[in-house]
Amino acid sequence: MAPPVPNLPKTSSPSQPSGKSEVADLKLQLRQLAGSIAPGSDDSRREIFKKVISFMTVGIDVSAAFSEMVMCSATSDVVLKKMCYLYVCNYARSNPDLALLTINFLQKDCRDDDPMIRGLALRSLCSLRVANLVEYLVSPLTTGLKDSSPYVRMVAAIGVLKLYHISPSTCLDSDFLAMLKALMLNDPDAQVVANCLSSLQEIWSLEAGNLEAVSREREALLSKQVVYYLLNRIKEFNEWAQCLILELASKYIPSDSNEIFDIMNLLEDRLQHANSAVVLATIKVFLYLTMSMTDVHQQVYERIKAPLLTLVSSGSPEQSYAVLSHLHLLVMRAPILFSSDYKHFYCQYSEPVYVQKLKLEMLTAIANESNTYEIVTELCEYVANVDISISRESIRAVGKIALQQYDVNAIVDRLLQFLEMEKDYVTAETLVLVKDLLRKYPQWSHDCIAVVGNISSKNVQEPKGKAALIWMLGEYSNDMLDAPYILESLLENWNEEQAPEVRLHLLTAAMKCFFKRPPEAQKALGVALAAGLADSHQDVHDRALFYYRLLQHDVSVAERVVNPPKQAVSVFTDAQSSEIKDHVFDEFNTLSVLYQKPAYMFTDKEHRGPFELAEELGSLSLGTGSVEHVIPAQSYEASDNDLLLGTSEKEESRGLGNNDSAYSAPGYDTSLISLEDKQVQPESNFLSLAVPTMPSHTSSVLDDLLGLGTPIIPPPPTLKLNPKAVLDPSNFQRKWGQLTTSLTEEFSINPQGAVALKVPQALHRHMQGHSIQCIASGGQPPSLKFFFFAQKEGETSPFFLVECLINTSSAKAQINIKAEDPTLSEPFSTLFRSALLALSPS
Amino acid sequence: MPPLMGIEFLCRVADVLTGYLGGLNEDLIKDNFIIVYELLDEMMDNGFPLTTVPNILREMIAPPNIVSKVLSVVTGKSSNVSNILPDATASPVPWRKSDLKSSSNEVYVDLIEELDAILSREGVLVKCEVYGEVHVNSHLPGLPDLTLSFANPSILNDVRFHPCVRFRPWEGEQILSFVPPDGEFKLASYRVKKLKNIPIYVKPQLSSSSGHCRVSVLVGIRNDPGKVIENITVQFQLPSCVESVDVSSNHGTVNVLADKTCFWSIGRIPKDKSPNLSGNLILEPGLDRLHVFPVFRVGFKIVGVALSGLQINKLEIKNLPARLYKGFRATTKAGEYEVRS
Repeated sequence: MAPPVPNLPKTSSPSQPSGKSEVADLKLQLRQLAGSIAPGSDDSRREIFKKVISFMTVGIDVSAAFSEMVMCSATSDVVLKKMCYLYVCNYARSNPDLALLTINFLQKDCRDDDPMIRGLALRSLCSLRVANLVEYLVSPLTTGLKDSSPYVRMVAAIGVLKLYHISPSTCLDSDFLAMLKALMLNDPDAQVVANCLSSLQEIWSLEAGNLEAVSREREALLSKQVVYYLLNRIKEFNEWAQCLILELASKYIPSDSNEIFDIMNLLEDRLQHANSAVVLATIKVFLYLTMSMTDVHQQVYERIKAPLLTLVSSGSPEQSYAVLSHLHLLVMRAPILFSSDYKHFYCQYSEPVYVQKLKLEMLTAIANESNTYEIVTELCEYVANVDISISRESIRAVGKIALQQYDVNAIVDRLLQFLEMEKDYVTAETLVLVKDLLRKYPQWSHDCIAVVGNISSKNVQEPKGKAALIWMLGEYSNDMLDAPYILESLLENWNEEQAPEVRLHLLTAAMKCFFKRPPEAQKALGVALAAGLADSHQDVHDRALFYYRLLQHDVSVAERVVNPPKQAVSVFTDAQSSEIKDHVFDEFNTLSVLYQKPAYMFTDKEHRGPFELAEELGSLSLGTGSVEHVIPAQSYEASDNDLLLGTSEKEESRGLGNNDSAYSAPGYDTSLISLEDKQVQPESNFLSLAVPTMPSHTSSVLDDLLGLGTPIIPPPPTLKLNPKAVLDPSNFQRKWGQLTTSLTEEFSINPQGAVALKVPQALHRHMQGHSIQCIASGGQPPSLKFFFFAQKEGETSPFFLVECLINTSSAKAQINIKAEDPTLSEPFSTLFRSALLALSPS
Repeated sequence: MPPLMGIEFLCRVADVLTGYLGGLNEDLIKDNFIIVYELLDEMMDNGFPLTTVPNILREMIAPPNIVSKVLSVVTGKSSNVSNILPDATASPVPWRKSDLKSSSNEVYVDLIEELDAILSREGVLVKCEVYGEVHVNSHLPGLPDLTLSFANPSILNDVRFHPCVRFRPWEGEQILSFVPPDGEFKLASYRVKKLKNIPIYVKPQLSSSSGHCRVSVLVGIRNDPGKVIENITVQFQLPSCVESVDVSSNHGTVNVLADKTCFWSIGRIPKDKSPNLSGNLILEPGLDRLHVFPVFRVGFKIVGVALSGLQINKLEIKNLPARLYKGFRATTKAGEYEVRS
């Protein structure tokens, strides 16, 4: 929403104000007005603010007027305030120092009597997005969440999320999540509930990999109690929040079929909502709920058909397309259920091409014995379409139907009629289809060849069509009287033939023809081989040479190779596997359906981040070993020092501390007292995870290496790493995206150690002992994948990021290192190797 | 994010802005950018849609109309933002202000239907469907409770409702029971399929020989809807292989645009003759016959009839003083009405 941050150089073109003098002028005017309380001063201020903001919008840097703007913002006029907030939010990020100036007045506004001003101020405060100002956010947010006005609470709920994005640790350390959860379950205002829900969902899903307690909270969101609570209130929510709740409900797993029917009855009327987003979200719930009940699932298809079809015919072409894409997915899954609705998928002349293409695909899919005639008749109409691409698609669609059906008689006739239309592209497309048809139904060869034989090869220009024609000439040279002579004339133009594909087909056709009608085709074959041998294209040359030598070797063998008896092709492979289609169905009501591929195929690896490796690796156990220790550890560092405990105790209490914070984050107060309580009765396995790593923290890397005595020991590394490096996942992701790989290595690891790597966690602990932290890992033996990071000793030293692939059965490892200081990547890689090599089966 | 949520939200933003600015184009947005910022602020936060209901927004941010301008000059109060927050989110009918005062007691119901049809060159109906909307324009005080019933609701194929419509009465008795928002809104939209009667026919004939193509298009009434058919137009795109065109008609005006679109504006069909367009197309040299045939797109409008046959039975209003004005209207327009040749 914010206008582009004006980093543009100041323009000096005559049409635009040059900026500088204008800004100075505005500053002056603002200054004069700043203290004025004269009647009408608000109006003049408003005029100037308007000017400032319009400059800002067109990209002129007016940040120079920052302090004046802030001075003028002490006003009761809401519009002035709004403009000022807009201005402040726009420049705070690029001028963090100036932003500090605004904190004061924004905080004051957060205590205003008018809830609207309180809300707006809080919203702007959270939108400053300046990392070193987060401390000022906590208290206004806390008051905001408890505000008497729903408007302020609603803003505060989203504010927590904004805070999380600026500084996750600040957000998690204050008990905002617990407050949000309480609000979500108790607030009377539906919009507040919705905003809490969306904030919590986003924060929890980003944190889920790090803290076990968070993933448990996230699961709790899908408990019967919460889902029912929200669904029962669904009519109080606005349409957008309804989408959110429906999305949540689609993930809910009901315990029995009664529950399924209850939910469906409750949501039935949502299918008739005016908002298409609500309808689609409801459909998703229905489809997912009934997944396991085949009969009901089919009934659901019947029920959702009408609403979907209505959505297609109303609204903008973009909306139709989005709905049609979903319909397309459903049609592909159950074509039978749609076979009587084929008329809905007829194309209209004025529809955009992208809509028509989808419709053609659907028509192809639902064609069966009962409707083929109508559909094919309709498709034939499109062949004469003005738009050539639609015309081509229609021919292909007719062909596909022909390949699906048993009764192809009528269709073949129609295809052959296309050939008589004498349009280049129609002929070319049709030839390709006739070729495929003949491969599947050789019995039609007689009819087809009669027509194909009449086509003058001069009228076919497109390589694909030409290749298809040539293939038929070779394959059916017995049935076509003048096949050898046509080939001969085609061979004459060998040198003008651009496409290697056509030349390859010419060679093969000449061979086939030769075996069928040797005396007539001998000349053609000679010409073809000679031309092929002289061809500059490698494949053509090679094939010619191969044929030549084959013939030299033994003619009858050559015949068996080139002209074996062929079996009819029964099924042509589908371009997209059913697995992928299922995957897309799992992502119903997302962009995946529009792109017709699952999300992992179109989202950037960089954006998916290490946490979504699951997609590639099949299963993923998130870095339980290290990450929990990393983030909360920061805040405990200080208290550790105060307690003056010995190292081992320190480690122990740290392990517990994390444990504690993980459990209590949503509900309880995290203080050191509760920490000690827990020490008495350790109830989790974190302790056992944390303890073994202790000694390695204290001992140096070298000791460790010598003690384990691996076969090959690299020279002692000179680089020292920070044993307590901290990097949160989002920063890791960001850095990973920014940096380029500075080093890639492949090496073998200790086979016994590799075999011992049954679970990724084993390596987490081991590497942590070497001051290398794991941030995410995944995979099943034998192939495991890890993301590590490490930091050079020192507070602000550069980081190293590592992607590490380990094959446990071949005991090979591959590492990709991204280093903030590339000069250090060499010594770090040595260190990393030695750490990995030290992996022992223990 | 669900794609339809994005599309639907953008459409809604466009609707709201159009409502506020009286149109939507670059200049209007530039002139009113402050209002646009304010509106966007209320409609979305951090990527989550908040409220997009025009009535609630109007309570928070006053539209820049002449009245408010005059008012601000007279009262000296120059804010277009109300200082009180709408309480609508907490009310059971969020789309309506709770204490609405209206000077005029009136409510209008409009049936607007669009007829989509495809006719083959032989005049056979390939596909015919009506997409209709029920628009209500209400200016009523207090919290009126309206009930709208149709004479023949069974013909409706699928209906979608404005959030104000109660679902149970529709399910049970097929009546629309609702508390309307103030002003004009779309109460419901529906689809009716399997229609047999189309109002007009268009008979194109193209016969080509040796580089020429004779065109003749006849237009006439096929099933008289009982009301006058107005604004009849026929347009078609000439294939790119046509070199030059010479067409004329015995009724209405014919224009051939630069992109080879032929536009024939007929208006009403006269009583004494049937409109006919005829002429000659000269094809590209070397081309003997025409292979690509244009699709004729037909436009028309019939006031006073809903072609689907849907009829409003009655509109009852509770919670209201007796004197009020009710109005009904029906219009049918051509949607995608295509004739192949």
